[in-house]
Amino acid sequence: MGKRIIIVGGGVGGTMLANQLVKKLYPEIQRGEVRITLLSNSPDHFYKPAFMYVAFNQFFHEELKRPERSLLRPEIEFQVDEVTRFDFSGQHVQTRSGKRYGYDFLVIATGCVPAPERIDGLKEAGDHFYQYQAARQLAQRLSTIEKGRIFITVSFPKTPNIPHQCGIAPVETTLMLDDFLRRRGVRDKVEIVYTYPTTAQLLRNCLFLQRPTGEILPGVFEQKNIRFQRGFTLSRVDPDRRVAYSEEGDEQPFDILMATPPIRAVDVVLESGVSQAENHEGWLPTNHETLQVYGLEGVYVIGDTVDLPVSKAGGACHNQAPVIANNITAEIRLGAPGAVYDGRVQAVAQMGLNAGMPLWYDYAHDVLPTPPSKLGGLLRNGFNRGLYWAVARGML
Amino acid sequence: MDALNESPVISASVNMLKPDHNAGLEALLNKLQPLLDGGRMDNIVDVLALVSDLVDLLDSALVEKLAGLFEDATAVSWSLGNAVRMAKAETSAEEAPPSLYGLLSLLREADTRRGVALALRTLNAIGKQC
Ligand SMILES: Cc1cc2nc3c(=O)[nH]c(=O)nc-3n(C[C@H](O)[C@H](O)[C@H](O)COP(=O)(O)OP(=O)(O)OC[C@H]3O[C@@H](n4cnc5c(N)ncnc54)[C@H](O)[C@@H]3O)c2cc1C
Repeated sequence: MGKRIIIVGGGVGGTMLANQLVKKLYPEIQRGEVRITLLSNSPDHFYKPAFMYVAFNQFFHEELKRPERSLLRPEIEFQVDEVTRFDFSGQHVQTRSGKRYGYDFLVIATGCVPAPERIDGLKEAGDHFYQYQAARQLAQRLSTIEKGRIFITVSFPKTPNIPHQCGIAPVETTLMLDDFLRRRGVRDKVEIVYTYPTTAQLLRNCLFLQRPTGEILPGVFEQKNIRFQRGFTLSRVDPDRRVAYSEEGDEQPFDILMATPPIRAVDVVLESGVSQAENHEGWLPTNHETLQVYGLEGVYVIGDTVDLPVSKAGGACHNQAPVIANNITAEIRLGAPGAVYDGRVQAVAQMGLNAGMPLWYDYAHDVLPTPPSKLGGLLRNGFNRGLYWAVARGML
Repeated sequence: MDALNESPVISASVNMLKPDHNAGLEALLNKLQPLLDGGRMDNIVDVLALVSDLVDLLDSALVEKLAGLFEDATAVSWSLGNAVRMAKAETSAEEAPPSLYGLLSLLREADTRRGVALALRTLNAIGKQC
């Protein structure tokens, strides 16, 4: 029997990788020596960064999803089925429908989920834009607030050196919020306060998780009359009094609490028992270079489930997918993986409703901020509206 | 903040230097000299003017339409490319060309019937536009 490759998760990581594997392994697939199966618990693929725009009434639900099947090469077997258990020693996965899928290579691409319930009162009183429904609710609030105080907080995973999802999103949405309220003509009556926790990966008392970007933020915020505060690590929220409390002993009132919530891996990964991450967060122990899961034979991980110090971003998946595709191909053809991930992530950050800032970094280099520009904003819009789907298909 | 405070000092000192004191600028001027002499630098200025006009003309709505066109075009060429690649691989794997009966039995497969329906509906829609 040929080699069976199973990818779990039809998000951006799993989809790109499946398509790239078909391309790499085409001769073997043609000869029936390799079979690629993608299992996902949703028939649809969501362009998650669009949730951020949903919060500002800029994207319709229908525009941010496509049927997953339409993004996959026809050689890929696609099943809508949720994986409920990984049996690594038996080399198979168990699914909700009761089926068992054996594998020779397994790629875990199940992403992560927001977990506001992990902070007392946050689920009841906080708003976020990391899922569609939550973003719609936030949009409703932002579209109707006339005066008051919008308090922005960011929570990091408790596992050291692991970032929150999409590092730059809190800054992007703060600047979009400022523009949005100006357009509505209520900005002078709404106070915006951006806060960042005391510990942000390796940094202390900063406004961002990388120093060069953190250093330009005060200037950017001051120009727009956005208040900012370092050292606010959200510890609990009082939904009745509408007050956010910090571990540092501070308390801040709010009318809207726009919070980047804690995140965790999905249930089946948490329950797999492979993760040693703190606070039962579930990040898989990932080889920085090969992207194999330490201690497991033939198992790789991509995207938001890794425990790497790089941003949990589509721009990270974009650089991880070719490495995994090469490594699985090399394992099949040569017996050992050879490609190396250098930690590269690239993106175009949305800096306000119209401006954009292209950026990149890797394990060895921080982002070097450039001035936000209209051209950058148009590039980002073009990516959101069309280029993304070609990227997911593995064409770009 | 520190970085912001430093930057004007640096740019001021650059402005104060004469070009012949700045090796980088001098090297650049040397390279540009033939373009200046030939009057071809005007083309560069034209291009810059054109680019800046285009950037001014582009707006989010236009970019959205262009991106939509891009997606439509890539999705169609991707599907067709996939279909041809796969059909070619399967056909060339067959030792002898399929018999008439073999061709007909392809129609028994649901995927084939779906493909035929798509082709017929495509023709139907083209007909509507004639
Ligand atoms: C608001 C927001 C803004 C963002 N902005 C940017 C940005 O500007 N740039 C950028 O690069 N990134 C951005 N990101 C991050 C980016 O969306 C994620 O990093 C990326 O989607 C991660 O890809 P993934 O494949 O690891 O996981 P996901 O895309 O989350 O996909 C996981 C998939 O696994 C499936 N799944 C889960 N559990 C199971 C199971 N048990 N069985 C089967 N299937 C399962 C899910 O249905 C889903 O299809 C943003 C994210 C958000 C939420």
